[in-house]
Amino acid sequence: MSLLETFKKNPDRRYIMFGGKGGLGKTTFSAATAYWLAKQGYKVLVFSVDPQASLSDIFKCDIFGRGPVEIMPNLFAQEIDADRRIKEYQQEIRQKILDMYGMEKVPEEIENYIQAAAAEPAMEESAIFDAVVDIVISGDYDYYIYDLVPLGHALYYLSMASVYDEWIDKITALRTEMAEYDKVAAVMKRSKDTEEDQILRELQDIKYRINSSSSILTDKEKTAFYFVVIPEEMIILDTRKAADLFQKFQVPLSGYIVNRVIPTELAQQNIPDYLRNRIEMQKRYMTEIDQVFGGQVLAQVPEFERDITGLPMIERVANALFGGEA
Amino acid sequence: MSEEEKKSMLENLKSILYGMAGHDMARYALKTRGSMEHLFILITMGDLLGIPILPPYYSLRLLPYVVPQISTWKRRMLREKDLTDALA
Repeated sequence: MSLLETFKKNPDRRYIMFGGKGGLGKTTFSAATAYWLAKQGYKVLVFSVDPQASLSDIFKCDIFGRGPVEIMPNLFAQEIDADRRIKEYQQEIRQKILDMYGMEKVPEEIENYIQAAAAEPAMEESAIFDAVVDIVISGDYDYYIYDLVPLGHALYYLSMASVYDEWIDKITALRTEMAEYDKVAAVMKRSKDTEEDQILRELQDIKYRINSSSSILTDKEKTAFYFVVIPEEMIILDTRKAADLFQKFQVPLSGYIVNRVIPTELAQQNIPDYLRNRIEMQKRYMTEIDQVFGGQVLAQVPEFERDITGLPMIERVANALFGGEA
Repeated sequence: MSEEEKKSMLENLKSILYGMAGHDMARYALKTRGSMEHLFILITMGDLLGIPILPPYYSLRLLPYVVPQISTWKRRMLREKDLTDALA
């Protein structure tokens, strides 16, 4: 099975993610896949949730915090600016308080809380999570490509959905019970309707958002998750561990892509021992990769003679990934 | 007895019956509701008292609705209890 076949056979998989340790080429593959899909005529959004995102670098275009930016026809890229999102969100909350109670300014105690909440370490991840939910449920594109942060963060991000889900469930249950007491009191007093509980409505909305995004992430009909590996021992070991963890969160793994393979034809030429040893080493680990991941390896991408930035280089990677003239 | 008087008597009777039977229950329901409101604020806004609560992002969305209750809630949560409370 090749990467091209997995795309052709599963046309409903519209959410594409590349995972793996830092620096193995997740951003490169995200960009290349987006490029290839856009060339096929699909409208694609590739977006990064990494605070140190590198989509700007690979496309040689500053897109940080500027919303979806059109890189070429059909290809849009977006880097989420978590800080700005948090600031806007805080402002939204303040405004709502002012509007609801006709206040001149937010009470000091409340203001302190709003500021303290933004300083929480989980705030940034939550804001990013919420931004992704916005993107995913909007449904403006044919394909969504997540340029994920390195493994640990990706898992944290995925587990966040289930933590939120439980939290929301608990407080929604409490809120619903409260509404019942309201009703009892209303019946006794023979007053007409109880007023609608806005908090309950807000909670249901949050729940809807979390559920719709996490259900997409774990639905193998809609989502494809690829692991990036390179032929080196540590990477292979770590990737196996990570694959087990991802299984726990029911993220469906679609396959592995091997990056940075030094072309073996080089061995026939007159090359220094340094390079020959590296080729030998990679050969050994390629056999191991074959044993461990077997038929799940979908593509091998060579080590290029230069780094991957700009569309012409991205095109070469896309060709190596999907099989085209290199 | 005129229609008017009959009507007001009926109303008074209703109020008396409510006072005897329903009022206590309604009061109890509202009291329970009030306690639950405070519990709710505690588990969503616990950070206001220094109790770290996960996750602050979405609790902020609920903050505007509980603004009026915050001060009574804080007073209740931070009220100290000691032996003299039992004697009083």
